[in-house]
Amino acid sequence: MQQAIPYSKGAAWVRRSNDGRRPPVEPAAMAARCVASSGDIRRVVEENPVVVVGRRGCCMVHVVRRLLLGQGVNPTVCEVGEDADEAALIGELHPEMAAEGGDGGAHLRGQGMVLPAVFIGGRLVGGLDRLMAVHISGELVPILKQAGALWL
Amino acid sequence: MSSTSAHFATSRRMAVYQPNHQISMWGNSFKADISQNTGASTIVEADTKLDNRLEDIPRESLGPSKRYDQEANKPADKVVRRLAQNREAARKSRLRKKAYVQQLESSRIKLAQLEQELERARQQGVYIGGHLGDATLGLPGTVNSGVAAFEMEYGHWVEEQNRQTRELRAALQAHVSDIELHMLVESGMSHYDDLFRIKAIAAKSDVFYLMSGMWKTAVERFFLWIGGFRPSELLKVLTSQLDPLTEQQLVAVHNLQLSSQQAEYALSQGMDRLQQTIVETLASDLLGASGAANCMGQMANAMGELEALVSFVNQADHLRQQALQQMYKILTTRQAARALLALGDYFQRLRALSSLWAARPREPA
Repeated sequence: MQQAIPYSKGAAWVRRSNDGRRPPVEPAAMAARCVASSGDIRRVVEENPVVVVGRRGCCMVHVVRRLLLGQGVNPTVCEVGEDADEAALIGELHPEMAAEGGDGGAHLRGQGMVLPAVFIGGRLVGGLDRLMAVHISGELVPILKQAGALWL
Repeated sequence: MSSTSAHFATSRRMAVYQPNHQISMWGNSFKADISQNTGASTIVEADTKLDNRLEDIPRESLGPSKRYDQEANKPADKVVRRLAQNREAARKSRLRKKAYVQQLESSRIKLAQLEQELERARQQGVYIGGHLGDATLGLPGTVNSGVAAFEMEYGHWVEEQNRQTRELRAALQAHVSDIELHMLVESGMSHYDDLFRIKAIAAKSDVFYLMSGMWKTAVERFFLWIGGFRPSELLKVLTSQLDPLTEQQLVAVHNLQLSSQQAEYALSQGMDRLQQTIVETLASDLLGASGAANCMGQMANAMGELEALVSFVNQADHLRQQALQQMYKILTTRQAARALLALGDYFQRLRALSSLWAARPREPA
């Protein structure tokens, strides 16, 4: 089974003790948005540390963005058309994965390649489900730091 | 008495008619019970008696005195008989009425009791025979089978949770081994998994029902957040019960609470955004005459947007599950057992509070 990003299990990490409940960070500039075709998405993912790919008008994209903003990162949001084909996107972004078996889309959807999808450091983290799990287990911040999206 | 016509050529006919007339009278008062038999037998009697009388009479017109005799005898017998029958009928009628009234009274009392029970059950959130998704109907309309199935399963789930809570308390008081505690903790955790599983099925069936919280008690509904409990609140309840914790554990628990709050905030923001989107869709061009096609297009868009609610409920449940599992990772077996006991107790208290509130004496209006 292919893991997008390897992670350790159950390692506790320590935040700075004077962290109260962090207020939501509103960046001065709007989060960079792009309306892209599948070809462009691959380039965007490679060039930006944190990328959220989602359908236009999807409220879950907003949730993902809020969660990441709350951690202090400014994600690049890539909007695809409402009728964009997920399978085509997967084929574009992970040709090696799509090559596995005929129903590569479903196989990946089982792994979390649903929209909205989160890419950190050019690699697929997964959908909102996965992002939540990683966030609750405390591994999100180390991943962000590793990708250079966060500085202490 | 029918006419006192003296034509004996018709007397036999009169004899025949009278019994019929009497039958219909009796039929009305007795209403298809055994008295009709009495009537019939009386008719037979009357017939034979009349026949006997008539046999004595030659078939020419008689003198008035003889005719008068006959008619004087006939009324006496018949009247006496009819009076007796009337008394009997009236008595039976009174008895029947008494029985009927008694039945009515007891039915009324039973109905009042049932209404009370229903009101109480409603207040406790067990909505029987209908669901609030269809708010346009004043009455319980079509019963959604998915909702009915969920209510039944949730009822079982609560019973099982109460049982597990009792078992945990007994085990902790009896100081059983860690291995036994571990098994109880495992069942407790998988029991919560069961809840999220049945909720996911119900969300597909009727997400608004789930979001309304009508399947929970009133006080639980007060604390409702996206169709269930708020994880960070639950964590607060737990941490106060779990001393002593190591330094590392304290930090981990604190971080978990923070992460949960942040995730809850993100989801709440998403819900606000969804509300906004639907408002914009429905409110576009309210006064314009863009035609039915446009309106239907709007509705179709709004329908698509509403679908997102199912995702929100699923994501919220996923967050609840993740928070519980992370807590489980942080704690030792014994601490986890105490945490599950505390949770079970807390939910029981919320439900008990709902019942007390529903049953509280109220000032007369």
